[in-house]
Formats: sequence, C-alpha cells, structure tokens
Amino acid sequence: MTLFHFGNCFALAYFPYFITYKCSGLSEYNAFWRCVQAGATYLFVQLCKMLFLATFFPTWEGGAGVYDFVGEFMKATVDLADLLGLHLVMSRNAGKGEYKIMVAAMGWATAELVMSRCIPLWVGARGIEFDWKYIQMSFDSNISLVHYIAMAAVVWMFTRYDLPKSFRLPVTVLLGLCVYKAFLME
Amino acid sequence: MFEEASEVFDNMFKSSFPLTFIVFIPAVLILVSPLPAEAAHEFTVYRMQQYDLQGQPYGTRNAILNTEARTVEAEVLSRRCVIMRLVDFSYERYQKALRQSAGAVVIILPKNMSTMPQDIVQQFMELEPEMLATETIVPVYFALEDDELLSIYTQTLTSSSSQGSSSAAEVLIHTATANGFQMVTSGAQSKAVSDWSITSLEGRLAGTGGEDLPTIVLVAHYDSFGVAPWLSYGADSNGSGVSMLLELARLFSRLYTYKRTHAGYNLLFFVSGGGKFNYQGTKRWLEDNLDHTDSSLLQDNVAFVLCLDTLGNGDSLHLHVSKPPKEGTPQYALLKELETVVSSQYPEVKFSMVHKKINLADDTLAWEHERFGIRRLPAFTLSHLNSHREAQRSSIMDVRSVSPSSRHGAGEHPAGPHVDLRKLSRNTKLIAEALARVIYNLTEKGAPGDLQIFTEQMQVQEEQLSSVVDWLTAQPRAAQLVDKDSSVVSTLEYHLGRYLKDVRRHYVKADKRDPEFVFYDQLKQTMNAYRVKPAIFDLLLAVCIAAYLGVIYLAIQHFGVLYSLVRRITAPKTKQH
Repeated sequence: MTLFHFGNCFALAYFPYFITYKCSGLSEYNAFWRCVQAGATYLFVQLCKMLFLATFFPTWEGGAGVYDFVGEFMKATVDLADLLGLHLVMSRNAGKGEYKIMVAAMGWATAELVMSRCIPLWVGARGIEFDWKYIQMSFDSNISLVHYIAMAAVVWMFTRYDLPKSFRLPVTVLLGLCVYKAFLME
Repeated sequence: MFEEASEVFDNMFKSSFPLTFIVFIPAVLILVSPLPAEAAHEFTVYRMQQYDLQGQPYGTRNAILNTEARTVEAEVLSRRCVIMRLVDFSYERYQKALRQSAGAVVIILPKNMSTMPQDIVQQFMELEPEMLATETIVPVYFALEDDELLSIYTQTLTSSSSQGSSSAAEVLIHTATANGFQMVTSGAQSKAVSDWSITSLEGRLAGTGGEDLPTIVLVAHYDSFGVAPWLSYGADSNGSGVSMLLELARLFSRLYTYKRTHAGYNLLFFVSGGGKFNYQGTKRWLEDNLDHTDSSLLQDNVAFVLCLDTLGNGDSLHLHVSKPPKEGTPQYALLKELETVVSSQYPEVKFSMVHKKINLADDTLAWEHERFGIRRLPAFTLSHLNSHREAQRSSIMDVRSVSPSSRHGAGEHPAGPHVDLRKLSRNTKLIAEALARVIYNLTEKGAPGDLQIFTEQMQVQEEQLSSVVDWLTAQPRAAQLVDKDSSVVSTLEYHLGRYLKDVRRHYVKADKRDPEFVFYDQLKQTMNAYRVKPAIFDLLLAVCIAAYLGVIYLAIQHFGVLYSLVRRITAPKTKQH
C-alpha cells in the first residue's frame, strides 16, 4: 500500500531499537562497532545452523497432517546454538558488566531485524494490496527485541559462578523456554 | 551513533569506488523496480463491444482502468469503478454512473444465465442496444460471478452505502476495519485491428437436366452478437439458422445422389459471416459474384434466395419480403407451398407474410434478404420473429437452453431466448417439405397437401440438429473473434464438404480508405482486485505508531522507575525466602 505504509511499518519496527540504543546509554560507550560485531556473529551462527540442519535432517516424508515431534524437537535443539552464540559474543566482546548484555542483545536483534524482516516489508508493504500481517511483523520485531534482551540476560546469569543456588532452577527453565519457544507454539 | 555510521559510509565513498557501485546500484534498482503484487482476487472480464460501422462508432472506447471500486449507492462516483449486479441493473443507474463521470463500470452476471428470472432477462435484452448506441469513453466490463467476486461486491456495498451517514468516530473506526478494493486491468489500451478478414463459406448441389437451370440459394449467417463479444453465444440467432442449413444440405444432397430424385434445380448454400454487422459477408460475396466474375450461378437464372434467421423457437413463422411476390414466379410458388404445408401438416404454426420495403436511409439493413433485394435478386427471410428490431436477435441472453424453474406459468411467454429442439426440427421439416414441393413441382403434379416426403430414412435427424446447435453455442461466435483460422470456420467447412460440392471460402476485408467496419481488440482482460485501505488509514496508523513510540521512549527513559516498581512488587516474595 505504497511507500507511506512501508514507512509506517519500518518506523514501527525500527524505532524502538533506535530508542533503546540511544536511551540505554550505549552510545556513550561507543558500542556501535561492537553491536555490528554481535550482528556478524548472529549471521555466522545462523549460517552454521542452516548448514547443520540441511546436512543432518532430511525432509520429513510422513503424512501431511502428522506432526513430526521427534524431528522438530531435534531441529529446535539446534536453536541451542543461538544461546551459544550469545554467550560467545558476551564473553569475547569486551564491555563492562551489564552493558555486555545490552550490546550483545542489541546487535543480535538488529541483525535479525535486518535479515528476516526488511525484505518482506520492502516487497510486501510497498505493494497495492494491504494486509495486516505487515504491521504484525513489525510489532513482532519489537517483541523479539525484548525477548533477546531477556535471553542474553539469562545466558549471562547462567554463566555467572556466584549465582545463588535458588536462582539456578528458574534460570535454567527460562533458558529452556527460550530455546523451545517455537517448538512449544506448534 | 550517526557519527560512527557516517564515518563508515565516508570510508566507503572515499576508498573504493567500486564498493559504492556495488552498494548503490542494486539499491537504486530495487527502488525503481515495478512491484509484482498478489491480488485479493483475479478474474476474467469481458469488455463491451467496440466497433465502427460505416464510420459510426459504437460502444465503449476505453479499455484500461485502475480505480477504486464503489457501488451505485455511493455518493461520489467520479473516477471510481462502479460495480453492479445484473439483478440490480437498470438503465437509470447506468446513466447515473456515466453522468457522474465514473471511471469504469463492471457488471456482474450470474454464472448460469438460465437461472435468471424472465423479467430481468427481458429488461436487460432491451437495454443492450441502447447501451451500445451511446458511445461511451468509460470502459464497461462484464464479469461472471463467483464467490469471491460476490464477497468483494457485498463488502463494497456496505462501505459505499454507509458513506456520509455516520459520525466522525464511526468513520474513523470504519476506515480502520473496512476494506476498499482497487480494480486494475492488466492489458493495454484498445486499438483497431487491422486486416481482419471475415470468412464466409459456400457450397453447391448441381441440378440435373441440361444447362441454365434455375438456382435456389439458401443463406444463413453464423456469427452472433451481444453487448459483450465474448459472451454472445447466439443460440437462436443464428445458431438455429446454421444448423437448419446444414440439415437441409444433408437431406437434399441425399436426394440428389439418386438419379430418380435428382431435381432440375441448382442448390447453392451460403454460410455468411459478419451478418450482425450489416451482412458484410453477403454484401461482398454478391459484389464478387455479380460484378467481378464472368459466370456465376448468381448471375444466371436465380429462382429465389431463402435466408434463414432465428428459427429455433416459437410457434409462428414469418416470411419477410421486400416486395410481395407476383403470381407465376418461383417466389410465389414457395409462398404458396409454405402455406399449404403449414395448413395441412402443421396447423399449430401461424404463418404469415410480412412486407417491409427496403429503407436505404437506415443505418443498417433489416434482414439478410435485403442485400439480395438491392441487387435485384428475389429473396426472402424466414424467421419466427415478427420484426427485425427484436432485442433477442442481438443479445447475450440468447443461450442454448434455460432452466425450467425460470419459466412462468403455462400461459405466459416462456423464459429468455433459447433453442427449443422440437420446434427447430419441426421448422426444419416444414421448410424441407415446402422446398421439395417447389423443386419437384408437386402441387402441379397433384400431390396432396399432407404428403410427407421426409420420413423414415429421409427423416430430419434431431440428434444432428442438437449436436450442431450444442457445438455452435459452446463458444462465442462474435465476428471479431472468428478469424479465418478459427475452428468454427474450419469445422463448418468440413461439414459442408461432406454433403456439398465445390465448398469454397470467401473473405471480406475492410476497405483501407473508407472501411465499412472496424473492430477493436482488448475484448477480454484479466482484472485484479486489490484490497486497499483508504488514505486516512495510513495517517491514522502513523499517528498511532507515533503515540506508541512516544510511550516506549518514555518507558525507556524512566526505566529506573519501572524497575524499582517491579522490584517493590517482587520484593515481598524474596523477603519471604
């Protein structure tokens, strides 16, 4: 529905990232390049995941309505690589204390935004046909920003040694939820 | 952040020129590339006629449209595409749309025309010539209804009729929730087709008994006409005439194979094209045969020319003449034989002669026999219609059959024009008997009026008639759609070739400098209906998004407040540990 609508969706998707970056004080730490590096790590991890999936998991040839629990479960387990990637970013990337989390999460989420949402928005939202799904997609990217921040925080907490034992369990559960979120939704 | 980003771009510009190319050229290309979009619904539409006859333009002049859809109830119709259903169609509404300079008109026809009630069919039939007579620059399209199109129509109807009647808040909500539709055709502007040739076919059965035999010519035009060329199937007019002609050809060729029944008349059969466009095929055929060749059957002794036009229904037969036949002429003999056969064998048929002088001041000729009459050949047309101005001669409602549910009571006129096979075969037999009586001179030889020749092996084959009519009405046969390679022409040629000798094609092309007929293309298009939201919706959405972003900004700025709030809520829980 024309460029204006595309602009609307793009603003809805991107501005929260911008606002978060500005207001959380990351700009004072010159963290732009670090975010970009985190984004590059995201790309790398996604590439590895895709290669792994393509090589080891053949296409499911069962009936159309049957949901391949085991197969999908295995595929979701591969998403553990996401967590590993986040951990990698945070441990390698210098950055003080809590800002490590923010840097990693911002870079990761922005890379995901650019890679998986920009093209559909560009192609779809600019056309004549109107569909609610583009607004939905942009809103979804907001939610995934929050989700990635939370995920990075939980990963960081998981790797802390001085974590009280009582927190271990909820942290692990939350981590598991993160990974299998897509799987559970099905 | 912008400073850092701009640093990156600066480096990119200064250091490597090819890099900028790699980045920018694809970006520019993507920006300007045309977008293939998916439509809510894609359907075929058929355009109204567009043609020039003898310099006079008829029909719609335009083919492209890219406008928003509305129905007639909406207040603002200008530059919008007006969608109407056939059941709601009326001439006033059509005129209203045109007066308000609508962008286009799309009329939705039911998939099965035979289920329409009689009065609507009748009303539409009468409106067709009026719609064509007024030359419109607005493209008029016809579409066949299906579920999606119907839902598009109802949505447009609700949004159109609620305009201007509600408060501002309702309008706002309405813009957010309702769907508008943008109708776009994919074709180009229509232009005249050059070098279109109309094909006609002739075949003959030679008589026996010496030179200079009298010739009887049987003529029927095979093309059909309607307000939309792709929707004109022309069952009764003139599919019935063509099937009758083929059946007569079969019967008489059978008679002519045996020496005993080989008569002393030449029979010339002519299936003409362009009949609905003032009989162009016949006109040129006559010119070629009478002016340009030395010897032709038409130049010598022509007994009479019988044109068959719309004979598939009805209980009356009219013999249309331009000059009442004089006694002692073969035409008079045919007239008398027809009367005899009707009175003795088919008393339920009402037969009459209709005399109408040729009026050369009219735009178009009335019946096909007038073409022959102008060239001083004795001719008549047989039809069950009383007048040439009957709407059903040129209507898209002329279909093969109608469903019984659309007929009214027994006493009333049955449903729209269609072919009744029993009546068609009865008429065929009637005409065959009368012709046979003329050819074999039976009345003079004292044969009684109810002598039936075409019985048993020589019977009129109803299945043959039925299959020919079914085949003819299976495709639209408008003159603009049947070119010389068309299957209609080649199948007719094959059929004639089975019974007749010397089957030849005859082509008519419009004269270059002063064309008698001009046809235009782009008669069938694919129209896409895109779901769109009104422009206010975009603004509304922008306002909403700005508000949302404002809230997020505030939330992040004062994140500390939120955090302490959450801690205070969760604090009692941790304290209990």
